[in-house]
Amino acid sequence: MKRKIDIYLKKNIGKSATSSEYRKSILLEGEADSWSKIISAGKYAAKFGYKGVINKISLKGFSEDYISKPDFTDGKFNNYNTDVLIIGGGIIGCSIARELSKYNINILLIDKESDVAYHTSSRNDGMIHPGLVPKPGTKKAFYNVRGNYLWEKISEELDIELHRTGSVITYDKKFLNIIKPFLKMRADKNGVPIEFLNKDEVLKYEPFSSDDIVGGIRLPTAGIVSPYKATVAYAENAAVNGVVFGFNTFAEKINTVNGEIISVETNRGKILPKTVINAAGVYSDIIAQMAGDMFFSIHPRKGQIAILDKKYGNSLYSILSRPNLNFHSDTKGGGLVKTVEGNILVGPSAEEIPYREDYSTDYKTIISMISKHEKALNRINKNQIITYFSGIRAANYEEDFIIEKSDYIKNLIHAAGIQSPGIASAPAVSEEIEKLTVEVLSVYKEVKRKDKWINRRFSSPQPLKLSIKDRGNLILKNPDYGKIICRCEEISRGEIIDALKSPLEISDLDSVKRRTRTGMGRCQGGFCTPLVMQIISEFKNEPLNSVTKKGHTSFILGEKTKEFTGDDLNEKV
Amino acid sequence: MKKYDVIVVGGGPAGLAAAISSSENAKTLLIEREHRLGGILKQCIHDGFGIIKFGEKLSGPEYAEKYKDMVKEKNIDIITDSFITDIKKNDKTFSVTVVNSSGISQYETYSVVLATGCRERTAKQVFINGERPAGIYTAGTAQYFTNILGYLPGKDCVILGSGDIGLIMARRLTLEGANVKGVFEAKSEPSGLMRNIVQCLEDYDIPLELSTTVSRVFGKERVEAVETVRVDKNMNYIPGTEKVVKADTLILSVGLIPENEIAEKLGISTDIKTKGPFVDNSLMSVNVPGIFCCGNALHVNDLVDYVSESGETAGKNAALYKNTNRKLTKIIISDEFMYCVPQYINYETDEKNIIFYIRVKNNCNNVRIIIKNERDEIVYSRKYIIMRPPEMERLVINKELFKNTSFINISLENGDDNI
Repeated sequence: MKRKIDIYLKKNIGKSATSSEYRKSILLEGEADSWSKIISAGKYAAKFGYKGVINKISLKGFSEDYISKPDFTDGKFNNYNTDVLIIGGGIIGCSIARELSKYNINILLIDKESDVAYHTSSRNDGMIHPGLVPKPGTKKAFYNVRGNYLWEKISEELDIELHRTGSVITYDKKFLNIIKPFLKMRADKNGVPIEFLNKDEVLKYEPFSSDDIVGGIRLPTAGIVSPYKATVAYAENAAVNGVVFGFNTFAEKINTVNGEIISVETNRGKILPKTVINAAGVYSDIIAQMAGDMFFSIHPRKGQIAILDKKYGNSLYSILSRPNLNFHSDTKGGGLVKTVEGNILVGPSAEEIPYREDYSTDYKTIISMISKHEKALNRINKNQIITYFSGIRAANYEEDFIIEKSDYIKNLIHAAGIQSPGIASAPAVSEEIEKLTVEVLSVYKEVKRKDKWINRRFSSPQPLKLSIKDRGNLILKNPDYGKIICRCEEISRGEIIDALKSPLEISDLDSVKRRTRTGMGRCQGGFCTPLVMQIISEFKNEPLNSVTKKGHTSFILGEKTKEFTGDDLNEKV
Repeated sequence: MKKYDVIVVGGGPAGLAAAISSSENAKTLLIEREHRLGGILKQCIHDGFGIIKFGEKLSGPEYAEKYKDMVKEKNIDIITDSFITDIKKNDKTFSVTVVNSSGISQYETYSVVLATGCRERTAKQVFINGERPAGIYTAGTAQYFTNILGYLPGKDCVILGSGDIGLIMARRLTLEGANVKGVFEAKSEPSGLMRNIVQCLEDYDIPLELSTTVSRVFGKERVEAVETVRVDKNMNYIPGTEKVVKADTLILSVGLIPENEIAEKLGISTDIKTKGPFVDNSLMSVNVPGIFCCGNALHVNDLVDYVSESGETAGKNAALYKNTNRKLTKIIISDEFMYCVPQYINYETDEKNIIFYIRVKNNCNNVRIIIKNERDEIVYSRKYIIMRPPEMERLVINKELFKNTSFINISLENGDDNI
């Protein structure tokens, strides 16, 4: 096996490239002149049944990757003892924190950013996949289908808006008849309900679907959530149950003795955990390596998504796609998703890139996605775009989730390589990690369920979604719900204050935006940015120019030039 | 439910003027979503407002103050900090739902004047790609930061777009102590008024680069630099002309979009050229009678004086509104024009004259505007030495000239012709 890989490397990468077996994995080294060659080599090596591919082939001329991280140090967590340390505040880390919060243990979740759901968990389409695409027998297939099922309960308990819309995939040729048996078989193997539709039935579900189709399939269990609101919900419920959230906390070094983690060094001091859970997303391979358990590599896969103005949202009811003829299981074709708020999302793309935090977008990709998906829904066009964004999938070469106890470090558990369908799978992943953690931690202490665990969490009011009467009554109780701050999304001052008062301490503009939608509408914060900043500044009792867009040093304003006296800002009419 | 004859939506210059003229003949309510009346004028502390209307150069707040004083003298009900969530059409009236800190209220009215202004086009809408740091603002937001809040948006600024607000911000930021590294304009001609090019850029030695746009933003936390690139006539990037300009702030003045979401919900048909409703000379929607529109919600104006003027027209006609059948004469404009407001003429109105607001697509020298009736007879013509897209032209024409014609044609011809 190794010989075959070596031959491939010599031929495709160059003489410098070599492979070596490292524990149960295969380690690739050398230097290549293109990123796609590095990816291809990793994918090739993944075919031979090693536990993992550790791809250390470097890209010629590539300098250090950018990592957004806090620019300060303090001693907040120095010699901080905790039963469980979770590294990473995405939906995986937060859902694990929530599930573990039902036990009588101390839990600390750290994230290098100023909020949860800062990276991949807020940069995706929020789809709750039905589980048809993952290969039968993979962890992805199992956790996706189980997660999809658990979302019903989780959305209820945590008051997360879940739209179980189903998804429709349309075809224009007789192709459907050829792959029908294959799809049916896969659906049965994975345990996913599937319906085959003729053209009229497709049009019943998606009336504006393109006319030139012959039929489609429908996956009734597909659903949609707001991925960042879901992550926040998990985190808030965890916090209420005693989980400590350490934001702006960057894991720099993990110290082990005899195959056991004894401390994790951060910019805020040395944390002393009994167990560590690696939920570090695109950095999960680096955390594993830091702990002395190198066995896989993350290769960042970027997805760009365009957001269309809500006012064109009526063209779509659920999730719609019209794939190309070649059916690949690891490259996503993307599609159209109607978010819970009513916007249509177009995308995502799938691009292999060397950067783990490159959220840039480019015109060509955005436009080509629109033209691609126009074929499924003629009514969309590029003039309906209000903005676009990108996210990075934490893909490993095995293209499967890593949900296990470490083979070499006895108090380390991995929830790694979680990419799409990560949001859909999160409830099932956290359920499994909960079991594993209890097992591991039981070696160190007795783990018992708490007498009082609060399993319910309630969202703060969303006046826009209430009836006129209820909205009126809400405003009578708290007039702030009647003061509209974000005019495009109709978000009130009361909702912003609620976000700031939430169990997680937040203070930047994007964190407020993720919770309330301020600035997510068609003016993209043109009108409300200064107003939201003023509310944050008042609430925190800090100067206006200390407010950041997204934590760290992303300050929105420069120096103060004027001093106001009197009450000119309060003058009326 | 409180009843009014006219509800004016928006307390900026258009809405103030509309409320004043409406109140002379009708019970009027003015609804403003912000705390104070005046709209965007509150943050426009530069001068140049009111030359036509008041014969003197005023700052934005001074101009607004004059109107606010007039409003106070009239019998107008005003609610501020109040946000309209819905307007519904009934048989003969409209129901307006309003949210404010005292709750939800509903009002009934015979006619509505939409004076909702406009919003700014954003970086994403002009396809500026790259990273997503702090430090990218529309000119209006930057103006709010600087003039209302008293903070600089940044130190080293690049401005994209030579629209008037961009030019004014270039000067303002310079005066406040920032370093404006340049104004970039994708078109081959400046988009702002000539007087602003001179007074805001040339007087302060701020470079203006035409046929150049910003294509990319660099920076993770805060903007660190932008990439500029030259563009050809079709707005395609010219490869090899990319330049990196170090800056911590990118300010965009790349166009304004009339805010017509309320109008759209009412099913009002809008003109893709103006992005505002199709209206007749009373500034009433052509397909939803009883809804009037004025100011920047109708079309983007370059002078506030004309905004007020359209407000007066809309307010006066809203007050006199009776739901009777209209016979409309369509105005057809030739390709040289960007747009003309109104798009239709209703001959059966009280005014003696009809005011046309018209804008050309490209710079033209020595031309003549010709207006013909259905019999191809020239009813009006006017010569211009120069016409520029940023400078809207206003024509006041006797209504009698449009009698007995089912359409009129407006075209642009060579100015030398002897007519």
